[in-house]
Amino acid sequence: MNPVRLTWARTVVQLLKCRSTAVLIGVFMSVGAAVLAFELEAFEGERVSLPVLWALGLSPLLPVLSAFLAMDVWSEERRSGRIDLLLASAVRERDFVIGKFLGVWTVLVFSVVLQLAASMAALWCHVPRVFSDLMAVGFVPALLVLFLQGALWCAVASAASVFSKQPAVSLCVSLTALVVVPRGIWAAMTAWSHEARSVFGEMPIDAHAFDFASGAFSTGVLCMYTAAVVTVLFITSKCVSALRLSGRGAWRLRLSGMSAVVLSVVFSSLAVLLALRLDLRFNLPVGTMRNTFSERTKRILSECDGEISITSYMPRSDQSFRSVGHFLRSLRRESESLGGARLVLRFVDPRWDVAAAQRLVRRGVRENSIIFEKGRRMASVPLKDGFGERLCASALQRVAAPPIRRNIYWTVGHGESSCDDYGTFGMSDIARDLAREGYINRKLDFAAGVGVPGDCALLVVAGAKDDFSRLEMGIVESYLRRGGRLLVLASAAERGGVASMLPAWGMRSMEVSLQGARTLTGGDVIVSDFAEHELSASLRGSRIVLGKPVAFAPSAVADAGGGTGKIDFVPVASVDGTAVAAAVERGAGLGSDIAVSPARIVAVGDAGFVMNGMLSACANANRDFLLNCVAYLSGSGVYGTGGDDAGILAAGMDRETRTKFLIAASLAAPVLVFLSFLVFSSGRRRSE
Amino acid sequence: MLEVRNLSFSYDKRRILKDVSFSVAGGERVCLVGANGAGKTTLLRVMATLAVPDGGSVLLDGQDAFARPLRYRRRLGYLPERFALYEDMRVKDFLAYRAGLKGEPPKRIRRRISEAAQMCMLDDALRSPIRGLSAGEKKRVALADALLLRPRLLLLDDFLAGLDCAMRKVAGEILANAAAFSSVVATGHEIDDFAGWASRFLVLRDGVIADSISAGDPEEGDVGGRVREALAEGGR
Repeated sequence: MNPVRLTWARTVVQLLKCRSTAVLIGVFMSVGAAVLAFELEAFEGERVSLPVLWALGLSPLLPVLSAFLAMDVWSEERRSGRIDLLLASAVRERDFVIGKFLGVWTVLVFSVVLQLAASMAALWCHVPRVFSDLMAVGFVPALLVLFLQGALWCAVASAASVFSKQPAVSLCVSLTALVVVPRGIWAAMTAWSHEARSVFGEMPIDAHAFDFASGAFSTGVLCMYTAAVVTVLFITSKCVSALRLSGRGAWRLRLSGMSAVVLSVVFSSLAVLLALRLDLRFNLPVGTMRNTFSERTKRILSECDGEISITSYMPRSDQSFRSVGHFLRSLRRESESLGGARLVLRFVDPRWDVAAAQRLVRRGVRENSIIFEKGRRMASVPLKDGFGERLCASALQRVAAPPIRRNIYWTVGHGESSCDDYGTFGMSDIARDLAREGYINRKLDFAAGVGVPGDCALLVVAGAKDDFSRLEMGIVESYLRRGGRLLVLASAAERGGVASMLPAWGMRSMEVSLQGARTLTGGDVIVSDFAEHELSASLRGSRIVLGKPVAFAPSAVADAGGGTGKIDFVPVASVDGTAVAAAVERGAGLGSDIAVSPARIVAVGDAGFVMNGMLSACANANRDFLLNCVAYLSGSGVYGTGGDDAGILAAGMDRETRTKFLIAASLAAPVLVFLSFLVFSSGRRRSE
Repeated sequence: MLEVRNLSFSYDKRRILKDVSFSVAGGERVCLVGANGAGKTTLLRVMATLAVPDGGSVLLDGQDAFARPLRYRRRLGYLPERFALYEDMRVKDFLAYRAGLKGEPPKRIRRRISEAAQMCMLDDALRSPIRGLSAGEKKRVALADALLLRPRLLLLDDFLAGLDCAMRKVAGEILANAAAFSSVVATGHEIDDFAGWASRFLVLRDGVIADSISAGDPEEGDVGGRVREALAEGGR
């Protein structure tokens, strides 16, 4: 009979018949469920799946469980003297070592599966909505990574058990080796240097749990764990063999044993290095989420064609690097399956890929962004709060959509900022961005006696210092009454241009002095309060910076004459309740003919916010805001709105539900397990 | 059959065994006696390959124990001085587990257990949990374990210690039966009990075999007395 199998079976039975094991598994289940409850609250609204969350919560508990399970696996044999019986048998030490390791590992696997079943059953009863998009097979990678890590912890804990006859000492050694040293070093490193976390990234153990549970398999990491387990088992068998070498004359054997151990460590390290060097990464479609992406995203992906380059511009050590990488790979896979565009992924680390990073910076891309490029068109999505599928799909749509050939007319002759002025106060940068989007920038000089051309998709009055003449006002009024679109970038210093015309269109500028408490000079105002409007919804979580902006308010003297509906005033961006950017629309209204094109005006309280000088600061979403304004006004459709992110954790647990879940998963289930153990062991005793 | 040649063993700076040499014929029952610390247990541990000697060799049927240890251990039955059993197991399960570990094919395990139990008078205790057995019964279980596969060499370390007179007699009978297939090397201080079944006494003194007393010649007088005399000489 195979001694490995016999030893394995003996170890499993020995562990499972022990009441302390029942208590241990119960505590493990309880703590695991509590951690899951905490994480469900902490990660609410994040793009993270339930299996990943569960694996991340359980991963740090496994070393502790392993240490307790394996604490007396060898030390008890030594203490009782049974080790002599074992060593005098015609069995190789390695067979005992493997058998005992497999026994401990089996109990660990059993505990993990039990914990999963209990937690998910409790979750199913109390928060069934988290399972709406989930398939059972989604837990397989999470289980695999936990089993893999558990194998290493069990091997190390078993090895620690050889060194002492006292289980308590073995436990202390195991806990030190598995928990205190790695976690302690990590905590000390991150506490000592604030930069350490960003330099070294996440703790590798947690990173592996996240990656594997997300379906991102790496052959290098697999080899590393396997090599580590094999090496530890080899060292353990050498340590057991060394128990025979108590005599002075065995020094040669001790020396050869130590040499074998050193060589095994060296060879396994080399094997791991080679495996990591030749690392193959598979992003397996493990079906973590049945609907990884929303219908809107799928539609956009299926409509895209050609080749689209997606660049992740962020440090690899960033905490969100893995989740972003996983998300982008999922996006690529989804696009392939839908027959959409070929997505080419690139990862640029600003610290290492200096040349590529420099190219991106030259193009005005900020660090921690995702850049979508197709031909000359580019869209970047900042990795801030709210990053996710919705924004990326919009960016994809923006770069993949057919070029827009719409004319934008910039008025001149009233001291406006010019779209071809390359100076600090010029607007050449934003004009270039608009041209990249497919718009055609043209100048319109009313002094030449021309009206607004018929092909005008948008009229821009950018920081006019002088008032428009009555005739010019009439031309603009007439244009708007025909369903025209007007973008007013107000100049705070000289309130000229079309300001006097705006009250008739439902908005008026106000004499409000806004001071920014969050900027160095106090002159700039940081705006982060955006309305749920088509042109500003995608900016939520972003910031725009305005310099001493003009405020806007609804006008009581709105003149709807000549229009076909009522005027809607929307404060799209506000500071402490004061609108610094507003949109008005006089359109068909509800129930009217939808073919009627509504007139739209968007006014922003500062013309300088998209001047070259401000944009070069690259620290705000001003560019995106203006592009949104232009797209909204010109009828191109604003990207980044509509639809919901799929794959977002939405447990929505309130206090009562959480308490019920905790009672079920942390108390009831472990107690049930403990009672089952008692019944099992007492049943065996009776049969004896 | 068994030949121990120039066996020496030292622990730290202390030499415990010094060129110990002796041989044991097939079926012979050798009793190793000596004062505490004479090196009896160490000698048996070395012979059981639980400790590696400084020098010398142990040959069983001409094959070196330390050159082919697995093969040697397959033909070895060993009962350590401080033995421990798996208390949670039943006697039958324990013996089955041990037989499996020793490489006995599953088909033959039941027969082996039956033979060993019969030999050690454990038939009634086979289904009992080990934790419920008396010390004597536990010792017989350990002996059954050592005898399980009818080893060619049986090493018993101080195995009569802690047994009452009746149980020692029973143990003697068991070993007398075991001699049919095994050479026996036993250690202990119960000279009178050993005298009943041992064919030879080896007196170990300060790590060397000081005397070899054969029990086969009645003309030389009471063997127990001669062994005690030999031990006393060492004391003087």
